[in-house]
Parts: sequence; structure tokens; C-alpha cells
Amino acid sequence: MQTNPHIASQLYTNAQNIAKPDGPKSAGSSLFANMANDFMATMRAGENAAVAGMTGKADAQTVVEALAASEIAIQTAVSVRDRVVEAYQEILRMPV
Amino acid sequence: MSDFSSSMSASASGMAAQAARLRLVSENIANVDTPGFKAKSVSFQAVSDFMANSGQVKTGRVELSNAELPQVYDPGHPLADENGYYKGSNVDLMVQIADAREAQRSYEANLKMFDQSRQMATSILDLLRR
Repeated sequence: MQTNPHIASQLYTNAQNIAKPDGPKSAGSSLFANMANDFMATMRAGENAAVAGMTGKADAQTVVEALAASEIAIQTAVSVRDRVVEAYQEILRMPV
Repeated sequence: MSDFSSSMSASASGMAAQAARLRLVSENIANVDTPGFKAKSVSFQAVSDFMANSGQVKTGRVELSNAELPQVYDPGHPLADENGYYKGSNVDLMVQIADAREAQRSYEANLKMFDQSRQMATSILDLLRR
């Protein structure tokens, strides 16, 4: 059977285009980057509030609010990380 | 998650406002015997940023009570006039105690709301964790 090299290379390019993760991947990664930035900002605000509370510059309500917000942010981040790691392990255990 | 965090910050602003109110009540009660002292009170107002209501509360200006200062008869007092009277403070202890109790109850209500929003945020995360 004779193969046309031109068609083969076209098919190969098509397959590459299908396999190439474009659009959705970049949107998802920027979403994760935003989440990470928000997390960092919350953690930093919590630390600043804790320091201000220790030095007597902030009242107790502000410190408690910032610490509760950073606690929830940590719990969210840890839960999401656990889920992502779990998904990776699920893929690694997949029989090939 | 932003609803929970803004709910918590609204409760925290309410607690801060009630704490400021309680501080003024303490100052009034501390000065109940100071001659010429006028009772202080503060009004609450909603916080608005860029014409949007953020749902938080803050304390406004401190206002002095304009009630009549009572005339106290004490001829031995250094501030007494020729008839033996001087002007006392217009702090009404009964009103101040009631104000303090109201501030306490309002603080507790804000604290409950804070705790409840925290618990709701934590329980939805527990769902994700299992």
C-alpha cells in the first residue's frame, strides 16, 4: 500500500493540534494564579494584623477577623491541594 | 467565599463600633462626679465606599449632651459660687448603665454572627475534604 507523505504529515499536524492544550489551559492556569495571589494577600493581611495586635496598634476585632480569614484561606488551599494530589495519584495508579 | 468574608468583616466592624460605644460609657461613668462634665455619646453610620454600601458600620462624631448641668450645693467646694452652688456633671448613671448593657447585647449578637459565618465557611470546606 502506497502512502502519501503529504497526507501523513497533514494528519500528524492535525493530531498535534488536537493534543496541544490551548485556550482552556491558559484560562485555568491564570485562575489558579489569581487564587494563589488572593491566598497570599489574605495570609499577608493576617500576619500584618497579628503583628499590629501584638504591638497594640490594632484592636482585638481586627486581629480575630484577619486570623479567621487566613485560617479559612489555609483550609481552602489545603483542601484544594489534597484534591489535586489525589487526582494525580489516581492517574499514576491507572493500569496501562 | 467572599460572602462569608464580607459577612465576617461586617460583624467585626459592628463589634468595633460597640466597643467604641462602651468606651464612651466608661468615660462618662468615670466622670460622673466631675464638675462641669458633659456626657458623651456617639452615633453610628453605615460605611459607604465609592457610593456602594459595604454593609459595615462605623462610629460618627462624638457628641456632648446638652442637658442642663445640675446645681450642686456644697459651700466648701473650690468651684462654689457665693450661694454655695457649683455645676456638677450631667451624666445620668441609669442611662449609662442601660447604654452599656445594650452595647454588650449588641456585641454578643455580632459575635454570634461572626461565629456562625465562620462555622458555615468551615463546614462547606469539610465537605470538600472528605
